[in-house]
Amino acid sequence: MLYREAGQFKTSYAADQAIFPIRQDQIAIGLMAAVAVLGVPALANEYFLETIFVPFLVFAMAALGLNILTGYCGQLSLGTGGFMACGAFFSYKLATAFPELHIVIVFLLAGLGTAGVGVLFGLPSLRIKGFYLAVATLAAQFFLVWMFNKFGWWTNYSSSGVISAPPREVLPGLFITGTEAGPVTKYLFLLVFVALLALVAKNLVRSRIGRTWMAIRDMDIAAEIIGIRPLWAKLSAFAVSSFYIGIAGALWAFVYTGSVEALAFEINRSFQVLFMIIIGGLGSILGSFLGAAFIVLLPILLNNGMLAIDPTISTALVSHIEFMIFGALIVFFLIVEPHGLARLWQIAKEKLRLWPFPY
Amino acid sequence: MDAETRTEAAVDARRPGPARAIGEVLLEVKDVTLRFGGVRALSGVSFDIRRGEIRAIIGPNGAGKSSMLNVINGFYQPQEGQITFKGEVLQKMRPHFAAKNGIARTFQNIALFKGMSTLDNVMTGRMLKMHSTWFEQMLYMGRAKREEIEHRRFCEEIIDFLEIQAHRHTPVGKLPYGLQKRVELARALAAEPEILLLDEPMAGMNVEEKEDMCRFILDVNDEFGTTIALIEHDMGVVMDISDRVVVLDYGRKLADGTPDAVRANQDVIDAYLGVSH
Amino acid sequence: MNPLAVRAGVWLLSVPILIAALGFGFKGLAAVDSSLFFTWGYFLEVLIAGLLQGVMYSLVALGFVLIFKASGIFNFAQGSMVLFAALTMVGFIELGLHWTLSFVVTVGVMVLLALAIERVVLRPLVNQPHIILFMATIGIFYFLDGFGQTIWGSDIKVLDIGISKDPMFVAQGVFEGGLLINSFDLVAALVGAVLVAGLAIFFQYTRVGRALRAVADDHQAALSVGIPLKTIWAIVWSVAGIVALVAGIMWGSKAGVQFSLALIALKALPVLILGGFTSIPGAIVGGLIIGAGEQLAEVFLGPLFGGAIQDWFAYMLALVFLLFRPQGLFGEVIIERI
Repeated sequence: MLYREAGQFKTSYAADQAIFPIRQDQIAIGLMAAVAVLGVPALANEYFLETIFVPFLVFAMAALGLNILTGYCGQLSLGTGGFMACGAFFSYKLATAFPELHIVIVFLLAGLGTAGVGVLFGLPSLRIKGFYLAVATLAAQFFLVWMFNKFGWWTNYSSSGVISAPPREVLPGLFITGTEAGPVTKYLFLLVFVALLALVAKNLVRSRIGRTWMAIRDMDIAAEIIGIRPLWAKLSAFAVSSFYIGIAGALWAFVYTGSVEALAFEINRSFQVLFMIIIGGLGSILGSFLGAAFIVLLPILLNNGMLAIDPTISTALVSHIEFMIFGALIVFFLIVEPHGLARLWQIAKEKLRLWPFPY
Repeated sequence: MDAETRTEAAVDARRPGPARAIGEVLLEVKDVTLRFGGVRALSGVSFDIRRGEIRAIIGPNGAGKSSMLNVINGFYQPQEGQITFKGEVLQKMRPHFAAKNGIARTFQNIALFKGMSTLDNVMTGRMLKMHSTWFEQMLYMGRAKREEIEHRRFCEEIIDFLEIQAHRHTPVGKLPYGLQKRVELARALAAEPEILLLDEPMAGMNVEEKEDMCRFILDVNDEFGTTIALIEHDMGVVMDISDRVVVLDYGRKLADGTPDAVRANQDVIDAYLGVSH
Repeated sequence: MNPLAVRAGVWLLSVPILIAALGFGFKGLAAVDSSLFFTWGYFLEVLIAGLLQGVMYSLVALGFVLIFKASGIFNFAQGSMVLFAALTMVGFIELGLHWTLSFVVTVGVMVLLALAIERVVLRPLVNQPHIILFMATIGIFYFLDGFGQTIWGSDIKVLDIGISKDPMFVAQGVFEGGLLINSFDLVAALVGAVLVAGLAIFFQYTRVGRALRAVADDHQAALSVGIPLKTIWAIVWSVAGIVALVAGIMWGSKAGVQFSLALIALKALPVLILGGFTSIPGAIVGGLIIGAGEQLAEVFLGPLFGGAIQDWFAYMLALVFLLFRPQGLFGEVIIERI
């Protein structure tokens, strides 16, 4: 009875094309925003912010990026880790070379740089498709990580190969990187930043560009005959996707961990983000967030769960069981709902519209 | 003949229509030869399509009809021959160029964007008419938003015209076959093409669906003045709705002319019924 | 002229020419840059070591090709199947079984695994898009990695089935000091050759083989002519499991059984790209090219880039190759129709 759009008439296409056309959704999103901005920092302690909310937002950004490429444009990529590394190291070089540059600009520039790298590695997508392309993106993954690991220039010749984020403030007095940065500031900064970029992504996918990507995903030949240039469509998806993933990498290095080495962006990172979009929902902005939340929370829950059952359990065993459960869950999700959590959410909403009547 | 009665409704719909002006040559195919390795799909085919007419391409399976359409809209590049479109001589057509210059088409095996809704499919067909920049689309402001609404209005008209309003927000993968064909036509029309290529628009349809489709094709031709080139196997339909027919067999042109002339052509009869050697 | 003979002739001619050209290229580089070292004997030694290494890649790639041919599934889990098979085999040996007996038991385990995968994963996903199936195999990849290590532990294990690992010196008269060849690698190459020949015969000349090819072409069409899809998939995954076991034994006794085996198997992917996903000979030739290419590049070019280019060279080679021949060396050219 609560969730029903009966009586809400749209009199213009503009109203019908809003992101949240139904009033209840608008109210719900408003409430959620209020909780996220006011409730979470007030209620969550430092541990929760640092281990759940901050990585959740960073991963959500990466998942958004990969979802644009794989979910919307249908180009499977296994190079996410490599592109995140690009973002991290580009922003490190920028931040240390130009200390007076505002940190948000550093992030955006690093994203742009990564977009360029993404376009470069996206070029083969014109000639190769599907699995072939997936393997080609592995080239990006291995090459980029090797490059950042091998050449001291990227780490300003640090002997350990680790980069540490220099302290930077987003507004005067509000540090978001470095040791002085508090978890609440970090969280709020990420919240605003990621929400804005998610809005941009949503706008892109509901506009002409988004339809171009989806057309390429669903039937590339027909798309070409309609007048879509495949090269342009694919490369733009690579560029936008890498832009987001690059920023996610920069946020990972600067805001989440504070210091990082190239090996943190190994192939497993790529899989991790891929799992997020599979579980969350391919081709769904909301799905990127749901998937990121799921993948961030699951290991924590599993860890604590297994330690609660048997406190003497070894960490190696825990990680192996974690692997198993992850794998099983992926298969489970693909069988039950290939469109992921976002689709389940939609189904739930449809059920809710009719509730409490069966139909 | 059974096929005749089937399309009677369609023919009736046409006769009282306004006198259609069939104009100058819009597109000319000249000596086109297309080979795949050693196989000749088309050899030395020439014909023209005049503005405003309904032109049918017929022939037995494997005659090269679909290849011909693929050449016209630039999906295949012929080894020899040239295509003249709106007076411009092209050695090769590219799909993008064809689309930009007003050649739209539908496909034998439906080639819709299955993950997208009907409306999005039709809107995608309109994509060459949209000009907003990246930046505007990112913010969904200014021209981007205006365009979305303006083109939505146009697309809704086509959706009305083809009577698929009820399925506007349904993912097309879930629609039945006949409706998918209609959505495909809608997507092609959204581009406001000068020439519309239809590859077996009635394949696999039942009688009612065929009648509907005939009516839509004739209406499109009448109301928008769109030139139409279509491939069809149902001879009744072809003879009734087309102005001129070109017959292909084994990649060669067999006959070209009005439906009646083609029907009387001995080569055509041989090709369809077989001939003893 | 028989086109096959022409192709074979071209191959036979072009290979030595290519090798000689590479040799001269490296020699030239060494002359320009003094940090590089080159002698013809050393070049050949590296080349042979690379080729033999390539055979090992081919063994893994073979498993991929089998499953891809028979089900159109790009089985990402092949690498973890290699690891799992090797772990299981070592596990049984550690329990006190002789290695032959352990081999037989492990074959049984791999068949059981194939049946389980068919029943639990593949059957519910029939007719799903390929990308979904591909992702499901990534799920299997993770599951098997975790499962194997949960049961058998994650320590590095030694797998010894009695193949000699002594180095051999050949052609001592031609080159100074002769060429150093690892006898273990030779055995591996031999095993690989036997396996490939067997599989080729199986695919081309048996009824099951024909059914496999039919299934690969079109699930529904194969079902409609009465090919039992479930059985075929179970067979093919079993065979792939056994191929994985052989590859696991070879890799395991060479480098020890450890987690990195699953990642080494990723190198089979560029091999597939070079060879074409559907070609058994392609897997072999691709493996040889990747193996030799990356060894040569590491030894003769690596110093220019600071070393360790082995990590990515194979992928880059495949990527560049793809730009010129998207369907791989032996893959079928796809004419797009609409």
